Amino acid sequence: MAIPLYERRLKRFFYLLILFIILVFIVSISSLSIGPAMLDPIKVLQALAFKLLGRDVGGLIDVVAKLRLARTLASIFCGASLALAGLLMQTITRNPLADPYIFGLSSTALTALALGIILAPDLMIQRVYVVTISFIGAMIGFTLTLLLSKLGGGSDIAMVLAGIAVASLFGGVSHILLYIVQSMTKVPYMYLLMGTVSTTLWGDVQLLIPLIIVPITLSLALFKPLNAYLYGDEFAKQLGFNPASIRIFTASISAFLTATTIAFIGVVGFIGLVAPHIARFFVGIDHKFSIPTTIFIGALLTLIADIIVKAISIFIGGLGELPLGVVTAVIGAPFLSYLVIKRMRR
Amino acid sequence: MKIVIKGLEVWYDSIQALRDASLEINEGELTFIIGPNGAGKSTLLKTIALIIKPKVGVIYIDGKALSKFSLKELSKILAYVDYQISKSLPSTVFEFLLTARYPHQNMLTFSMSQEDLEIVDKISKQLNISHLLDRKLDQLSSGELQRVLIARAFIQGSKVLLLDEPSAFLDLKYKLEILDLVKKFTKINRSICIIAIHDLYLASLYADKVVIMSNGEIVAVGRPREIFREDLLEKVYGVKTHILDINGRIAVIPLEPLNKMEL
Repeated sequence: MAIPLYERRLKRFFYLLILFIILVFIVSISSLSIGPAMLDPIKVLQALAFKLLGRDVGGLIDVVAKLRLARTLASIFCGASLALAGLLMQTITRNPLADPYIFGLSSTALTALALGIILAPDLMIQRVYVVTISFIGAMIGFTLTLLLSKLGGGSDIAMVLAGIAVASLFGGVSHILLYIVQSMTKVPYMYLLMGTVSTTLWGDVQLLIPLIIVPITLSLALFKPLNAYLYGDEFAKQLGFNPASIRIFTASISAFLTATTIAFIGVVGFIGLVAPHIARFFVGIDHKFSIPTTIFIGALLTLIADIIVKAISIFIGGLGELPLGVVTAVIGAPFLSYLVIKRMRR
Repeated sequence: MKIVIKGLEVWYDSIQALRDASLEINEGELTFIIGPNGAGKSTLLKTIALIIKPKVGVIYIDGKALSKFSLKELSKILAYVDYQISKSLPSTVFEFLLTARYPHQNMLTFSMSQEDLEIVDKISKQLNISHLLDRKLDQLSSGELQRVLIARAFIQGSKVLLLDEPSAFLDLKYKLEILDLVKKFTKINRSICIIAIHDLYLASLYADKVVIMSNGEIVAVGRPREIFREDLLEKVYGVKTHILDINGRIAVIPLEPLNKMEL
């Protein structure tokens, strides 16, 4: 019974993984094709292949695809990062409602970032400092939410309410600070506040990718302690893992992933909430399966959300584009409501 | 294998939960801890499992102090079973049982070995939970969950088994079957098994040794016959009892409490 069951699960996981990789690929090509100038997806594919072989592509496609490639890659990696940050938070708080945005980490990271730009604008030219400051902000936010929820009894819902309190407060503070930043940098602050991948540059992507790959690898290596941790502190201890170290280490990885995406694309909520649930639905709770699946689903969701952003701006033709976080909120918030209802009914 | 407990003292803030507890437990023996609520049964088990740190006293496993063991070393030899298990992100029974093999694996090994899977298979058949493997933990009845939790301890393959109220939610048949299995497991593996239990009859059926506790103190240790005495039970539980001898087994019949509650 146990052996065929295990083999079935393993097979299912690999099939799904292949399916998701193919989906991410297809949606990426569509994402590259869609824009003010519509491109033929087959030509985009051709251009990509030529590019990889080092041959010259030439023409409009080269220019457009180059500009769009940074944006598409930023969607993939930031989506993966946010999704994993959410999964790790859900595990260490043992709370299915956890998400970097709902728990206020995003707002505090953004506040820290804005403070950094105002107080030391010279330092903020370098991405390393931007990521560091934003990481410190995210850690403070996480700690605040957990402390506040502990005072409120520590239940799942108390944690969400504490997160909303922290998120609202620092959301407001970051608004004020970013308004000041706006006068300094002349960049509309709405984008930082609700996130966008449209302004990502090729140089950003080259830095972003390793910053996200490393924490992904680290969390994959932690799959056993994380699995044991799910069943309680005492249980993790009995299997030989120290629950306090798992908590601190994983919280740091999660905050780092959140901070990195905020430093590059701003605040995008709900990907971290939705992606892990979809992944667990397909492959179960075991982190060795759920981490890779969550990453691909996060990338997929963010790509789709960005395509919606582009599509809206093409069809309505307003001034500029909608922020990405607006679209993910419209998709994600109903999902949160569903989870809350399911939880409270029990 | 042998566990020696010397002069344990445990405090929860300003409340003393264990007073000068000393005890010796040998391999192949089923030891039952009995006593009224708040006597310190669970505290004693949790202290042996290193979940609670004692303020004073030492526990030796084969002559080595428990505090000298790392969590990893301890996970290979000791399993503690109680109901406190988090189900807020519910896994399947199968996923839960597989984690019990982690102490015997390298942290990064991705696949489960054939041997590990066979152990899970064998134990789940023995405890009659094979049909539950695909179910979520939060969809089990209390009795099913109890069997799954005990299966976990067996799968972990620990030499020291600490069970906190293992029969609480089981029906009559499973109570007997599971304690029977625990006894066989203890004899065959020459392991140590300590069980905290309220059911005195079950204790008298299966115990090789009974430890009776009251107010954080070990009152007496001995064979069932030496412990299940009317005077001792009256002193510890505050209840008048009558001892029956049925087929060489002792059954404790509670008669009436010494102090009746007034309305």
